[in-house]
Amino acid sequence: MIRQLSIFIQNEIGSVARVTAILKNNNINLRAIASFDTPQFAILRMVVDQPEKAKTLLIDSGFAVTMSEAIAVELEDKPGVLHDLLQVIADAGIGVNYIYSIVFRNGKVPLIIINTDNLDKSKELLLEKGYAVAEQGDVGL
Amino acid sequence: MIWNETKECMSRDEILNMQGARLKKTVSRVYHNVEFYRKKMQQLGLEPSDIKGMEDLDKLPFTTKEDLRDNYPFGLFAVPQSEVVRVHASSGTTGKATVVGYTRRDIEIWQECVTRVLAMAGIGANDKIQVAYGYGLFTGGLGLHYGAENLGATVIPMSTGNTQRLITMMEDLEATAIACTPSYLLHIAETLAEAGKTDKIKLKAAICGAEPWTENMRKEIEAKLNLKAYDIYGLSEILGPGVAADCDAHQGLHVYEDHFIPEVINPETLAPCKEGEVGELVFTTITKEALPLFRYRTKDLTSITYEPCECGRTLARISRFKGRSDDMLIIRGVNVFPSQVEAALLEMGETSPHYILIVDRINNLDVLEIQVEVEERFFSDEIRILESLTKKISHVLQTALGLAVKVTLVEPKTIARSEGKAKRVIDKRKLI
Repeated sequence: MIRQLSIFIQNEIGSVARVTAILKNNNINLRAIASFDTPQFAILRMVVDQPEKAKTLLIDSGFAVTMSEAIAVELEDKPGVLHDLLQVIADAGIGVNYIYSIVFRNGKVPLIIINTDNLDKSKELLLEKGYAVAEQGDVGL
Repeated sequence: MIWNETKECMSRDEILNMQGARLKKTVSRVYHNVEFYRKKMQQLGLEPSDIKGMEDLDKLPFTTKEDLRDNYPFGLFAVPQSEVVRVHASSGTTGKATVVGYTRRDIEIWQECVTRVLAMAGIGANDKIQVAYGYGLFTGGLGLHYGAENLGATVIPMSTGNTQRLITMMEDLEATAIACTPSYLLHIAETLAEAGKTDKIKLKAAICGAEPWTENMRKEIEAKLNLKAYDIYGLSEILGPGVAADCDAHQGLHVYEDHFIPEVINPETLAPCKEGEVGELVFTTITKEALPLFRYRTKDLTSITYEPCECGRTLARISRFKGRSDDMLIIRGVNVFPSQVEAALLEMGETSPHYILIVDRINNLDVLEIQVEVEERFFSDEIRILESLTKKISHVLQTALGLAVKVTLVEPKTIARSEGKAKRVIDKRKLI
């Protein structure tokens, strides 16, 4: 499992930039980012190389932040691989909450970040099927 | 403890007799010294001798804030300037400032009232109290200051404007009590929590007033700071802080009836309200020398009870304020008080108490939006949970107000905190 940060932001010009400015000024490396928006607010989800430090800095700057776990799975670059993975989870009757990805990994294959209703069981199933599930330490690479 | 048992625990008959005698003397003195009241009484065909006791109170004319403004600055004073030892002035947020004055005796009475309030909150000579109301023309700072000195407590005169310094003094001097507005105290609580200092402070009591707050807000303050919080009420026109305050029972605020006669009236018809019925609070001063006022309309909405309190005091009690008759927003014909919103939010327990109401008129239709801060502990990483929270807040408010409300969640600490009276409403309606 990896740790991701979720940040509440208002859906306004410049609100994501206020978050990234804090990361930049503190030399925190952003590995993945996704924004899920409604007309009024958005939740920004990110994977960073120093999650604890980033969380503290963001809270000190007045953001509401939670840290949670997600599964990061290595996927080969060919058609149909994401479908196969999702089918494993769907067949087990587990719901997927959201998906985003880490693309740049210095020559390594991309990681798909996935959050489901049952993280432990999903991870177990994927490992059984032979998927490479990354841990926090793999993210900083 | 009860500071002045003789005055705070009289029988209802004793109170009425004392009030009647003092009213009679006041009316005669005012008639002969204040032209404004003499003319008003003459218009009503009223002679000082017509006021024989409490049964004649409702013959007297009302006084309003406008009357004070019209007679600015000293027109309603009943003593020569040489007897006035101090003046204070209202903030004038809703118009021109009003000036009030005190003789030496008035100041003594004010001290006595504030001392009763502090004693009621369990504060004594061994306590160190930080007075964090503004010092100056505003009555809050100096009012609490002299009351606390009169009690024998050690006063730390903080005034407002520097929260970090207040916290440093609170910690270093081991302050055991604080007097400030409730919204500022919540701000202090947040600042302490952020600095990880909540456990280091020694506060045991807080005297909060100068703005309306709710029972739930009191409980929140008590839980966050591990102290007991008390409600103090006052207005400069009548005295300043110390006109009324609540005891450990928190069953309404005891009015110091030996100095002020409270009435509750219907603000529309001006008819007296029944005990327990909500209406506008009206005061007549019966000991004030410099600025005695007859039936001053406070615009504060409350109800009154004369039932003796379980604490042993027999003074009339006024309920926690329901709002102000002039803060009342009329939105699509519905009366809305900001305090109702606050009570509903706190009761729900899933949001922060920091909110602002925004009223606008779009296509000739009034719309009410409420912005509520998303607090760390209520923040979910899932959009559907935040959306259902938005719907729930909207539903709770719709039920409480009888009005559709648009709810917007905003980032923490984006709604301005105030060191004085919290600003809860932005009315953007342009009525042309």
